[in-house]
Amino acid sequence: MNLFAKVLFRTSSLLLALMAVQPAIFASVDDAQSFALQAAEPYVKQGFQVREDYWGGDLGSGEKKAVRQQLFKGNEYWFWLGTEVDRAKVSVHVYDSDGKLAEESDSWQKGHFAAAHVIPKATGSYFIIVSVEESPEERTHWALVYGFR
Amino acid sequence: MIPFTRHMKLSVGVIFGLALCANGAQAPQHIDIKQLSTTVEDVVVPLPNEIFGALNKLGTVNWKEHVRNDKGPNFTERPRIALLLGTVIADGFIAVQAEDAPAVKEIGQRVLTLAKGVGVGNSITPHAKAIIDAADKRKWENVRQELDRTQNSVQQAMNEVHDEKLSQLVSLGGWLRGTEVLTSVVKEHFSADGAELLHQPDLLSYFQTRLRAMPEFNLPIIRQIQDALVEVKPLIDVGDRRIPAESVKKVNEITTRLGHGIVMKD
Repeated sequence: MNLFAKVLFRTSSLLLALMAVQPAIFASVDDAQSFALQAAEPYVKQGFQVREDYWGGDLGSGEKKAVRQQLFKGNEYWFWLGTEVDRAKVSVHVYDSDGKLAEESDSWQKGHFAAAHVIPKATGSYFIIVSVEESPEERTHWALVYGFR
Repeated sequence: MIPFTRHMKLSVGVIFGLALCANGAQAPQHIDIKQLSTTVEDVVVPLPNEIFGALNKLGTVNWKEHVRNDKGPNFTERPRIALLLGTVIADGFIAVQAEDAPAVKEIGQRVLTLAKGVGVGNSITPHAKAIIDAADKRKWENVRQELDRTQNSVQQAMNEVHDEKLSQLVSLGGWLRGTEVLTSVVKEHFSADGAELLHQPDLLSYFQTRLRAMPEFNLPIIRQIQDALVEVKPLIDVGDRRIPAESVKKVNEITTRLGHGIVMKD
């Protein structure tokens, strides 16, 4: 095999190997955010303004993260959680500053998507609890976006 | 960050179907908030239009009287530009509420100039153009979305070059202007529900903490804001009690004073 063929073979092998492990290496919070935004899409048609800002990170199976958010009485909010790991199961729930569940009954959870609907009874701080309940990955990226109307 | 419009191209029906067939999520009815303290992330600062949206639901607001589009002086200190940038973006949201196209267009230009002043002009140029185009076509929802994107892009660009503190000042500028207008509206037509919108003690604490971590920004306006937040805290951190008209008036005086300080030269 001449030198050119050797280099070509090695480069191709490396590229193939990289492609094989690509999801694990290149997956990011941005991918998770894409899924969270997918979950938000139908609600935009209902008049919800989706914020460009978002929270994100990675969690192990069974781990939780709390994020704090100022909500205003009079507005209606949806929080959408997503991950790119399609066999993961995630959840999102919203509590008021006293620790009382504050979400509406139409909040939902389905595999790697979850959403919580809040119509605040008072203006103030709320806690949004995100959780990776199950995942085949050691660490699972998550992203949370929200919208209001 | 990935623009939201890209995702709009994806299937809507599939996700809506998921929502319909999804099982109701089971969650404990009550949790101990104190146990969360180690895992709580920073707050996301609400956009001024979140507050304005809630205000609108309480009654008709004459937004035109709050529109402000004067160019003001140019600053050289980056923290001052960042504060002003946040304030001007908030003015953009006010101009959208008032559906004032000329004001929105001027604000779009001003945002671009200020963003260039802190070295993030490149990331803002397309948004500024989109704001001006949408204002010309009176597509107010698009203007709102572009203002949100503008603020987000400015802050992301700042964070990427480790100017997180400037990014926090952008949020603070917007919050102060939003609070100034909120208190001005509620002061004119007082209602308990309107005053309750001021109940934001955690946000105020967040800004206090951030300002304390900026000793290198040794500017009079930063010190004035720090002192003012100490004054505001007991007026809005009232627990379950109602915020009285007197407190609303006082917060309005403080935030109006700071607003002048942000837009005027020392």
